[in-house]
Amino acid sequence: MARDHILVGLEIGTSKICVVVGDSKPDGSIKILGVGQAPSRGVRKGEIVDFDTAQKCVHEALVDAEEKSDVMIQSVYLGVTGAHIESFNNRGMVTVPEDQEEITDADCDNVRSSAREVSIPSQNMFIHSILQHYYIDGQEGVLNPVGMLGNKLEADFHIIHGIGTRVKNAVRCVKEIPLEVEDVVFNPLAAAQVVLNQHQKNLGALAIDIGGGTTDYLMYVDGAVRQSGSLGIGGDHITNDISMGLRIPMARAEKLKVEEGSVTLGMSLPGETVTLKDDSGFAGKEVERETLNTIIHMRVRETFELLRRKLELGGDLHLLGAGIFITGGTSLLRGIDALAQEIFELPVHITHAQTMSGLTSAFENPQFSTAIGLIKYAQAVQMDRPAGWLSRFTQKLPIFGRRR
Amino acid sequence: MIEFTHKQQIVSTGSEHVQIKVVGLGGAGLNVIDRIVLDGAAPGADLVVMHTDVQSLTSSVASQKVQLGRGVTRGLGAGGDPEIGYGAAAESQEEIRKALEGAGLIFLCVGLGGGTGSGAAPLVASMAKENGSLVVVIATMPFTFEGKRRGSQAGDALISLQSCADAVICFENDVMGEAVSPKAGIHQAFAAADETISQCVRAVASLFTQPGILHIGFDDLCAALRPGIGGVGRCLFGFGEAEGDNRAHESLTRALKNPLMDRGRMLDESHNLLVNIAGGPDMTLNEVQMLMSALAKHTGDETQILFGASVDSRLSGRVTVTIISSSSMSVREGAVAPQFIPRVVPAPPVFTPAPALRTHAAAVQDMAAPAAQLEPEPEITAAAVAPEPEPEPAYAAATSMDTEQGSLLDMTPPAEPEPAPAPVRTARAPRQPRIVNAAADPLPILPAATKREERQETLQFEPVTRGRFEKSEPTIVDGQDLDVPTFLRRNMRVS
Repeated sequence: MARDHILVGLEIGTSKICVVVGDSKPDGSIKILGVGQAPSRGVRKGEIVDFDTAQKCVHEALVDAEEKSDVMIQSVYLGVTGAHIESFNNRGMVTVPEDQEEITDADCDNVRSSAREVSIPSQNMFIHSILQHYYIDGQEGVLNPVGMLGNKLEADFHIIHGIGTRVKNAVRCVKEIPLEVEDVVFNPLAAAQVVLNQHQKNLGALAIDIGGGTTDYLMYVDGAVRQSGSLGIGGDHITNDISMGLRIPMARAEKLKVEEGSVTLGMSLPGETVTLKDDSGFAGKEVERETLNTIIHMRVRETFELLRRKLELGGDLHLLGAGIFITGGTSLLRGIDALAQEIFELPVHITHAQTMSGLTSAFENPQFSTAIGLIKYAQAVQMDRPAGWLSRFTQKLPIFGRRR
Repeated sequence: MIEFTHKQQIVSTGSEHVQIKVVGLGGAGLNVIDRIVLDGAAPGADLVVMHTDVQSLTSSVASQKVQLGRGVTRGLGAGGDPEIGYGAAAESQEEIRKALEGAGLIFLCVGLGGGTGSGAAPLVASMAKENGSLVVVIATMPFTFEGKRRGSQAGDALISLQSCADAVICFENDVMGEAVSPKAGIHQAFAAADETISQCVRAVASLFTQPGILHIGFDDLCAALRPGIGGVGRCLFGFGEAEGDNRAHESLTRALKNPLMDRGRMLDESHNLLVNIAGGPDMTLNEVQMLMSALAKHTGDETQILFGASVDSRLSGRVTVTIISSSSMSVREGAVAPQFIPRVVPAPPVFTPAPALRTHAAAVQDMAAPAAQLEPEPEITAAAVAPEPEPEPAYAAATSMDTEQGSLLDMTPPAEPEPAPAPVRTARAPRQPRIVNAAADPLPILPAATKREERQETLQFEPVTRGRFEKSEPTIVDGQDLDVPTFLRRNMRVS
């Protein structure tokens, strides 16, 4: 019985694997029971490249989570990402049969499948199709068409798809542990559930999750998911740039980035240096601070500029009333909000999972946004379809699209 | 209705019918022709082989054979000496002309670097041109391991070919050889090169012969092959064919997998990109759209895409993609660096008989005196103009060569070729191409000099490194490989 309230989110990230165990309360709140994590190996840009190594790391993280939360984990919600994941908006349309007056659930299902009747590359599979708006006989803004009268039911969907084999690889990696995978969720969709509240979604908000290997984004306009996607650039790239630019090992570069790095230029004194300590604690190489920051700045600026260009193609950037919400490990980089603000010309917030209770240290860390978001997503799925355990494969929540 | 379309098709194919000849010149050319025959790559085209070496000529399977230089080489090869190759071709001019007659489009397949190929190719190309055919030269540059001498001979020949052919598609054996596994035998490396060329001939030939919905013409091909900044470009060629559900994607992937494409990483440097998609009647618009949008990820915003699509009933169930372009980047600096230009121009006098050479030298000296008065600093001029990559000097080189070829045949000294050959006696470039304009009017020298500076700048490549992401799938957006550090791509200097 209690098992149904326990929700587990698993994110196989590029830099770390993170498992969050949460307790879903009947009133809709979530209590975080424990967070398990393990450094990730065998994952590049959000995708598994070394299956066995990655599996070991997943196992480690799960054991850690079980110890901390004192819960036997049996099934997880798995987050996936990768630059192969793409999205688009499409409208589905069905005609209600003549002899039937009211629109039924079946019609809503039909309109969903008709929206999916688009060609995606045959190697790709649908990950989500998220409802945006219904239209009945051209009338806009219908929230729930079931029971209404009409002849023609249309619906806009945001469809997210990715290369099937890569998504299945991640699922297989978990299933072999063995562990049940309840559902596969595109990472930024999960993260957006906890970093944005309903009000912000209605105003229009962009959630950017800058992780180790990828930068994932999801944009809500008018309460509906409008754009989403993933760029194969992340914190790893910054570290790699530093490592190559300053000719220091990756581990040292990572440390330097976290401890000293900043994206703000012109703030250091001329000739100011950072001393790299070597393993034995002796002063090693000296690095000019401005050089370090320039390398980081160039990369982050480029990433934001690319993102901006991508989003501008959709043409919704001006509709973001609530602004931009940046989360993920790389959002901890100093000055990143100011740079984002400069490039997007919108208010930018660095944020982490909100509206949670339990381990404060866990959800206040932007690194865990996605994993916590997975739980929130899971909760929403289950609340939407209380009996829907069996039908979860045939149906996927319209609820993220619109919850007012 | 059906009848009407039927008629229309006949008319369109009829009017566009072009007699195609594929000419293999020299040893490498012979191999390519054999490969084309084996592949059945050029149905309906006449295959001609020309070589100095009788032995390999007889073993070739081509239908038409021309022996070059009966007197000069007496049936042996050119011995790796382009001068002998040139002499042989000059001797057999009549036979060559006869073999080339009546063709609307000539593919000249030649392996540069050796004697027959490097020496005879420019002459054969210009003769084909005189016959009024369009000439597409498909040249291969030798492997690096074949030695620097061959490399430089090939570079010389390539530059003179560019001035006398309508289009030059240049393949580098080095790059093509990369596709072959390190354990594979050397014959496989050469076979791989031949196969790519055979594909290229087939693809380009079908561009012109198949009626297209969106037609690609010769102008498009020339535009695609025109290198960006000037000078000699590196050819990018990719061909992919696939069938099945995912054929659009698959065929593009295969085209980009071609070693000359470097998985699409090279495409952002090209200014013009020719893409031709051919498929059976079952090819859908959606497939084309998907394919083009997938390709667009690899190209920059500035790239002009010359798009063609054709339907061929023979391809039913399949989709083929041809990508042709050129980038002004050079991998092997020596092979395409502009300093070859001065070396090419004097090439004809080298194998002219001694008197002609002397006269030429005398003429040069005669010109030198007045020019020196006009020109206060000839050394700078020479250096500045010599590597000038603009087509103008190359054109001058071509015409001068033509006149000198003529003079060679007549066995008369060159009669005042054009306004005046250049006065040159700098140590660096002992035999200078005509820098007539420069000598008469020193003003244009300055822009030339600055231009050269810029060109030099772009030639300084750092080895592109991706560090940690070396072995992972590249993140390519707008044709840029984002795994390469941003500061490297933007040429920022850090410490």
